[in-house]
Amino acid sequence: MTALLDTITMALGTLRANVLRSVLTLLGIVIGASTVVAMMSLTEGFRLKLTSDFAALGAGAFQVQKWPALQFGPHDHRKYERRPDLTREQGEALRELPHVAYVSIEEWARRPESLSTRERATKQSISVCGGLPDYERANGVDIALGRFISHTDVQLGRRVIVIGADVQDTLFPGQDPLGQEVRVRGVPFEVIGVAERQGSILGESKDAWAVVPWTAYERALGKVRNNNIAVVATTPDDAPRALEEVVAKLRRVRGLAPQEENDFEIFSNDTSAQLFDNLAKMVGAATFGVCALALLVGGIGVMNIMLVSVTERTREIGIRMALGARRRRILSQFLVESVVLSALGGLVGVLLGAGLALGANAIWQVPASIPAWAVIVSLASAGGAGLLFGIYPAARASKLDPVEAMRTE
Amino acid sequence: MDDALILVEDLCRHYVVGGETVRALDGVSFAIERGEWVAIIGQSGSGKSTLMNLIGCLDTPTSGSYRLNGADVQGLADDALADLRNKEIGFVFQTFQLLPRATALANVELPLVYRGMSRRERRARAEAALAAVGLTNRMHHRPNELSGGQRQRVAIARALVGEPSLLLADEPTGNLDTATGEEIIRLFDDLHRRGHTIVLVTHEPRLAARCPRAIRLTDGRVVGDGPGAEVATLGAARAVHG
Ligand SMILES: Nc1ncnc2c1ncn2[C@@H]1O[C@H](COP(=O)(O)OP(=O)(O)OP(=O)(O)O)[C@@H](O)[C@H]1O
Ligand SMILES: [Mg+2]
Repeated sequence: MTALLDTITMALGTLRANVLRSVLTLLGIVIGASTVVAMMSLTEGFRLKLTSDFAALGAGAFQVQKWPALQFGPHDHRKYERRPDLTREQGEALRELPHVAYVSIEEWARRPESLSTRERATKQSISVCGGLPDYERANGVDIALGRFISHTDVQLGRRVIVIGADVQDTLFPGQDPLGQEVRVRGVPFEVIGVAERQGSILGESKDAWAVVPWTAYERALGKVRNNNIAVVATTPDDAPRALEEVVAKLRRVRGLAPQEENDFEIFSNDTSAQLFDNLAKMVGAATFGVCALALLVGGIGVMNIMLVSVTERTREIGIRMALGARRRRILSQFLVESVVLSALGGLVGVLLGAGLALGANAIWQVPASIPAWAVIVSLASAGGAGLLFGIYPAARASKLDPVEAMRTE
Repeated sequence: MDDALILVEDLCRHYVVGGETVRALDGVSFAIERGEWVAIIGQSGSGKSTLMNLIGCLDTPTSGSYRLNGADVQGLADDALADLRNKEIGFVFQTFQLLPRATALANVELPLVYRGMSRRERRARAEAALAAVGLTNRMHHRPNELSGGQRQRVAIARALVGEPSLLLADEPTGNLDTATGEEIIRLFDDLHRRGHTIVLVTHEPRLAARCPRAIRLTDGRVVGDGPGAEVATLGAARAVHG
């Protein structure tokens, strides 16, 4: 025990004596470790965000879109563009399916809007949707004040609006918004309801939205030809059946031949998890590659510096041997030095990587969450590289002849 | 003679340098009993340090045999030799051989580190050893912050700290003024009285004369072996006493 402690103290002592050199040597290791931690933190952050996004869909709900939610790798943008739009009629056709309870057909503007009253305006960050009463169920909205959009609102094309908690906060701080007027692109809508706060996930608010009846939306803001369709199954257990029915129905109404692939995308908790796992795997593989390379470079750096250290300290090694250090003891001294050096590099890398991830999160609101295992893996692989690449220099040190070693300058 | 601590017979140590053989030691034989104090005297290059390295189990002879405490040193494994050097032998090297980056205290502690002694105990012992050579107020200095004589005293403290049964000192007073040198010799005298075996290399006849026994080397051969006072004044005499 004393021996190990002594060896570590010795190692730290010699590293302190060569701070600059140690730091330069460790660059590779630092880069490797920080890459792992930063990439894994971002991946983990996205995973948490997606999970929570789709949790908001509610049990037994899934979504149909023309565009894939996440695109990665080489993909053909035009392939998706060429797909026919998802129309209102196609959405309505889903209502008759036996295991479908609600169908929310949604028109989303391409860009977020700024909402305003006479006194105040929000930032241009509010997603405005033209929707149906089913929106409420399909998106897990709870109404805090007032009511949601009704069938009559839709039929009559009433200019009414249900707002998320962020809109309430900004436009009506401490006021009752019901019956008040909110302008979207200058068109006035009457507030009929306020949604319960859903909170924010990893820095991104879930309350920056508003819904108006689709009829009013098209009249006031223009028609969005492509719709998103959210479907809720009769019960959560029926969701797989509902999904099959929806796919079959859509293929029929969109006139697909049996051999053609689906020209629409379905997102449920399961498919999104799958999609994300694929993405995470690719990110993981890329990270692993970068890391392995950085560790290799770093490891060679460590080996080089340890060889230099052995040469510089030949006399010291001779003295230690003359005074009774066994060869093994010299070996372990240099191995521990190499491991401590690399692990320190790993530690710096972990801190740097965590800093990068959290910085990206703070500046660009990129979701980030630092997984403990990434920290452990980084430190362990850095230390492992130190061990592996320290073997040769340490073996060299332990094989020196004491008399010869003491004669060197 | 079987109970001799050191028994060397026809010991040779040759170096081959650029195709030429340097006979640093060329057939050396003698025995040193436990508790003896022996001076090795000879001119520069006569092979004194080479002999010390062999006796100290640091080097292996080209030929001949060396028995330490009855055991054939050539038959011992590396680890056994390291342990032997650590526990039984105290070295004062001609060139001090202090660790440049370590303080005097850390240098003196070093043999105890390899003995696996607890931090507290080895610190206490190292402090005591440094006090014995009069360096209490220089314990936290590094070798390059010490004078030559002070470095030599650190080296002596390091050799003594483990209370070795065999002390090998290569010119231990070479860098010291007469008064300090005298103190060191008194320290050795004290050790000798307490039963330690001491082999002291010196080129000073005056010092060798004070040792109970001296061995004179010339060109790697023993040319004199007897009471210190006699051998010291022998000059380059040929007579070999048994
Ligand atoms: N590693 C070596 N390689 C070649 N020759 C060596 C080596 N070590 C010692 N010698 C030679 O062996 C001879 C004896 O050297 P040694 O160091 O034993 O002398 P010494 O008696 O200690 O001298 P000094 O009083 O100057 O210290 C010298 O001629 C020296 O050149
Ligand atoms: Mg010498």
